[in-house]
Amino acid sequence: MFDLKNPSRRKFLTMAGTAAGASLLGNTGLVVPSAYGAGALGAVKEEDAVIAFGHVGPISDEGWTSTHHDGLVAVKAAFPKAKYLEIETIPYSADATRTFRQFVAENATLIFSSSEYGDLLAEVSNRAPKVAFMECNGHRVADNFSWYYVKHWMPTYVIGVAAGLMSKTGKLGYVASFPVPSVFTSVNAFQMGAKSVNPKATTQVISINSWFDPQGASQAGTALLDNGADFLFGIMDEAAYLQVAEKRGIPAAMWNTDVRRYGPKSYVTSCVVDWRKFYVEQTRKRLAGTWTGNEQILLPLGEGVDRDAWGESVPENVRQTADAVRTKMLKDGFNPFAGEIKDSAGKVKIAAGEKMDDMALYNWNWAVEGVTGLAT
Amino acid sequence: MSVALDRSLAHGVGHVADPDAAPVVSLRGITKIFPGLIANDAVDFDIRAGEIHALLGENGAGKSTLMNVLTGIYQPDAGQILLDGQPTRFVSPAQAIGAGIGMIHQHFKLIQAFTVAENIHLGWGETPVLISAKDIEDRTRILAEKFNLAVRPEARIDEISAGEQQRVEILKVLARGARILILDEPTAVLTPPEARELFKALRQFRAAGNSVVFISHKLDEVLAISDRITILRAGKKVALREAAGCTPSILANLMVGRDVVLHHARPASPHQANPGDPPPMVLQDVSALNDRGLPALTGIELELRAGEILGIAGVAGNGQRELSEVLTGVRPLQGGDIVIAGYRVPSSNPAMFRDAGIGHIPEDRLRSGLAPSLSIIDNAVLREYVIPPVARGHFIDHGSAAALAKRIAKDAEVGIPSFQMPVRNLSGGNQQRLVARREMRIAKSVLVAAYPTRGLDVGAINTMIDYLVALRDSGVAVVMFSEELEELLNLADRIAVLYEGRIMGIFNAKGADMEEIGLLMGGKTKHGERVA
Amino acid sequence: MAFRLQRLPSVRPEIAVAAHAVAIGLAFVVGGIAVTISGHNAFTLAAKVLTASFGSEFGLEDFGLLFGPLMLTGLAAAVTLRIGLWNIGAEGQFYIGAVFATGVGLFFSGPPWLMLTAMFLAGGIGGALWILVPTLARAYANVNEIITTLLLNFVAVLVVNYLSTGLWRDRKQSVLGATARIPYEVPNLSGSLHAGILVAVAAVVLMALLIRYTRWGYEVRISGANIFAAHYAGIPVRSRLISVMLISGAIAGIAGMLEVAGTVHRLQGGISNNFGYLGIIVAVLAGGSPIGVVFSGFVMAVILNAGIILQAQGILLNDVLAMTGLILFFTAIGEQVAHYRIVATHVVAQEA
Ligand SMILES: Nc1ncnc2c1ncn2[C@@H]1O[C@H](COP(=O)(O)OP(=O)(O)OP(=O)(O)O)[C@@H](O)[C@H]1O
Ligand SMILES: [Mg+2]
Repeated sequence: MFDLKNPSRRKFLTMAGTAAGASLLGNTGLVVPSAYGAGALGAVKEEDAVIAFGHVGPISDEGWTSTHHDGLVAVKAAFPKAKYLEIETIPYSADATRTFRQFVAENATLIFSSSEYGDLLAEVSNRAPKVAFMECNGHRVADNFSWYYVKHWMPTYVIGVAAGLMSKTGKLGYVASFPVPSVFTSVNAFQMGAKSVNPKATTQVISINSWFDPQGASQAGTALLDNGADFLFGIMDEAAYLQVAEKRGIPAAMWNTDVRRYGPKSYVTSCVVDWRKFYVEQTRKRLAGTWTGNEQILLPLGEGVDRDAWGESVPENVRQTADAVRTKMLKDGFNPFAGEIKDSAGKVKIAAGEKMDDMALYNWNWAVEGVTGLAT
Repeated sequence: MSVALDRSLAHGVGHVADPDAAPVVSLRGITKIFPGLIANDAVDFDIRAGEIHALLGENGAGKSTLMNVLTGIYQPDAGQILLDGQPTRFVSPAQAIGAGIGMIHQHFKLIQAFTVAENIHLGWGETPVLISAKDIEDRTRILAEKFNLAVRPEARIDEISAGEQQRVEILKVLARGARILILDEPTAVLTPPEARELFKALRQFRAAGNSVVFISHKLDEVLAISDRITILRAGKKVALREAAGCTPSILANLMVGRDVVLHHARPASPHQANPGDPPPMVLQDVSALNDRGLPALTGIELELRAGEILGIAGVAGNGQRELSEVLTGVRPLQGGDIVIAGYRVPSSNPAMFRDAGIGHIPEDRLRSGLAPSLSIIDNAVLREYVIPPVARGHFIDHGSAAALAKRIAKDAEVGIPSFQMPVRNLSGGNQQRLVARREMRIAKSVLVAAYPTRGLDVGAINTMIDYLVALRDSGVAVVMFSEELEELLNLADRIAVLYEGRIMGIFNAKGADMEEIGLLMGGKTKHGERVA
Repeated sequence: MAFRLQRLPSVRPEIAVAAHAVAIGLAFVVGGIAVTISGHNAFTLAAKVLTASFGSEFGLEDFGLLFGPLMLTGLAAAVTLRIGLWNIGAEGQFYIGAVFATGVGLFFSGPPWLMLTAMFLAGGIGGALWILVPTLARAYANVNEIITTLLLNFVAVLVVNYLSTGLWRDRKQSVLGATARIPYEVPNLSGSLHAGILVAVAAVVLMALLIRYTRWGYEVRISGANIFAAHYAGIPVRSRLISVMLISGAIAGIAGMLEVAGTVHRLQGGISNNFGYLGIIVAVLAGGSPIGVVFSGFVMAVILNAGIILQAQGILLNDVLAMTGLILFFTAIGEQVAHYRIVATHVVAQEA
């Protein structure tokens, strides 16, 4: 018998062959083994340090990748004597493994991967135990490996509140990439924020199977508007659907950076991220020898993630209501992700009185009631 | 050979060319070497204004090669080309045509899927960049009138007869302003009336002060049309003669280098079919379509007999191709039956016919009988790769394959420097010889030979005919397609006349009425009626 | 006196090889000038590419991981060229081969050798199935295979996306839909270089032998060189065409199986790395010859590997892509240039 729905539960078989297949080429003596990084994970002199950044998109995207690139620029300013490596547009294929290995071959001291490459990156880090790896939005940790992300669900909930207030029909549209936890969390937070002020709020999601596909995003945005949505949100590395919204006179909220110039009238706000401080800090630790693996880091609201300044057409009462929620989060530690929460099929998933913790939010993989178009 | 001597010989002969004028083209000491073979060895060749100059030689003598050197397809390894007295070298046929020299090749080079008008305007500097289909058709019509060559501008090449294709090729070079026209075996694919039309056009062309180089193996024709004749043997020029005063046997002797018998009488078949044996093949009420899906054969009733040559007479385009393909299993039947040695064939299948001992010399060797880009060995074993020794189970024994290729080349009397070379590098006649030998080997019961002597030199025609006779005498049923009634009457035991896809009548060759057959070929009976 | 190019009817092999070498050399010179202009030292970069590709364990592994699939997809495209057809769909067959292999690996269990054999067969079957419709359409209705195989590539990508982000999704990965990790892995030879490269070499050699030494191969060659002659000779052209296309699809599918079970270990979008499309270039550069695929696959792997190394040296992706394109362009025209030679001429026609 096999379990079609949940293959991941299958017993994990280790291959005898993997262990047996010890380095054939390495044993010939023909090949110089590559240097596995510079010394132990102890302190590194600034001039000896090599800091590497691998990105999923182009650094000119004015979105996700450019925020990480800004981080690199800040680190460079803080440690000008170190050497920097940066590769953009790394595909989610074995090319990712090749690319990160190339960083190792270049004696990288600390490698930031600004997207989750999973096994493809683990393949490299496992064999470079003396190089420090940090994977954004990652899931595994090791002695030389930590992951980091932002609690984007907090500002997203605030954006949801604004959306709920600004939407007349209560029909919200969401341009998604893949049905993965970051997207579930974002969609759910948005829907819950909206619903808290607008009981008839629903969110329709369209996934375009890419993080960076301006054309796909425009098409999805148009389809959502054609379907009756009067507020757009999404999780894209660029600003394409904002232009669609601007043309149609519909408000839209964005991700990553302030992109209001692409749609000054439509722009509501953005779930902005800022890695500069975090990257400088991690690099400083690595140089000082105090960097550690096995860390799971989620930057909180106000420290790396927040809503952007409100757009010109956002009414005063909307700003005030939404900001009141934000203040409550910052001041009182308000966690809006509390039971009772039903999934999109109407089943109670979080009982009344229960609260979702950060890890539950980070790994969220079902859609809440009111969300359509996101496979659970 | 001294030019002065030739001029004195020319004295008094009444052709248009002025013997004292400098030749328009003069090839001096042209040598062309291919790996393992000298195709042209220090050849001199002159073309005067206003003459038709024939180029003769056995298969592989180097005729096509010499003309390919002149038109820039090949570069000579030694020697000089003088055009109007100026040393010249063409690096492409396009450049040669730019200088007024155009060549019509042994194998046409038209694009099958294009129309006549498109082919004529293709790659021509004078074709306007933007032009409608109608405009190029109109332009083609005007050109056709100007040069007196009947073509249909809107017809696609694969729809028209060989004769018309040739007129298109000629029109193509004339339109580009050729004053020297080179024709490589132009009449091989023409019906006699088409050939007469061609000759008329060539004489007109010459009358305007232009020149023609004419390559042919048909000596009568050469004597009838040409003013002077150059003869090549094994790459060397061996003679230059005025046509007046030559005879076919003089020419044949010069080509071969020894006396040749041009015709010999052939005794009738000694073979006595065993009366109890079923005929090797019978066609019963067979009909078939042509490539365009139109009826090509209707109600064919034909019985082949062991030890007999059955001639199929008729003007090309009356179903010959389809009939030869039906007889060899290549073309499916639309109706009727084929009975091979008493067994009804369920469906046409060339492999089955091959296994039944039916050989096939196709009318168009390069298109259907050979894979031009593959080696001579690959092409030689095309019919026998399924049986030992070439086949060893599912494998091919390359040693046996090479041995078989050598054997076939030897029987066909074709000298081959390298068996690995693509078969397209062989001369046209040598390709034909190889195909014919290859097919005769498997023809244990029937040989279907469509124009088997096409492209062969005089000696090779004799050899070919001897082989056909020998096959017949050994009890094989030979079906021979030919347009030359005389050839058929001389060789065949029975003659069937094919007209518009029907058999008009079958005659015993002995005592056949040539006039009646000729009329039937045109679709008429002796009493002047048309047959439906 | 003038100089003109003359086209030769056929090319000697040594000239063709030399033309390719010169073309690649030329592309490197142009690439070198480009990187020099952009402020890098071309020689240190070249040295870097060589040492990084062939001087380190990682580099060699990476090279091998590119070389294997390129040989297979190149072979897939090359075999159809032998019979005069184009399989533009190796990309799709690669994906579907990966899908089939993943399905077997995720939902069945057994001893690794058995499971890997089953996945291998499933990959081949998947690839063959994916080319089945274009094959039959070509064989029985004469529908152009270029278009049908190409279109199915896009369908294959959708199938993979559907499975990896939907039905077979592993809920742990954050940024990209992917299935769970397949618990059966192609054994590694060295580091992460898995045995797929041996399969690729074996496939190339086997195919070369089949084409040269079997009746089937002979029939395929004749059919590819002149389909009329093949039919005339009694070769079952249609069934040869079908077998060649299905074998081609199966090879591409096996490439997909090896990639998913040997390199990526999860089915997810984008794993093909464009190997299917690159295979067409590999096959064309190889002139349709299986053994030639080894050489052109090698060149292609060096080029792709160099692309990554150069990016690590701070050359921007777009510049790298431009250079890769340039090299491919030069090698492709090198093939054509070999058909020409320069001759000195007197052009009388122009004087007249
Ligand atoms: N490209 C080539 N490579 C090698 N050999 C060639 C090539 N072209 C021609 N030959 C050889 O040169 C010789 C002369 O060939 P050519 O075609 O000129 O003969 P031909 O006189 O026209 O004969 P035919 O009457 O049969 O047409 C032949 O032996 C032929 O095999
Ligand atoms: Mg010739």
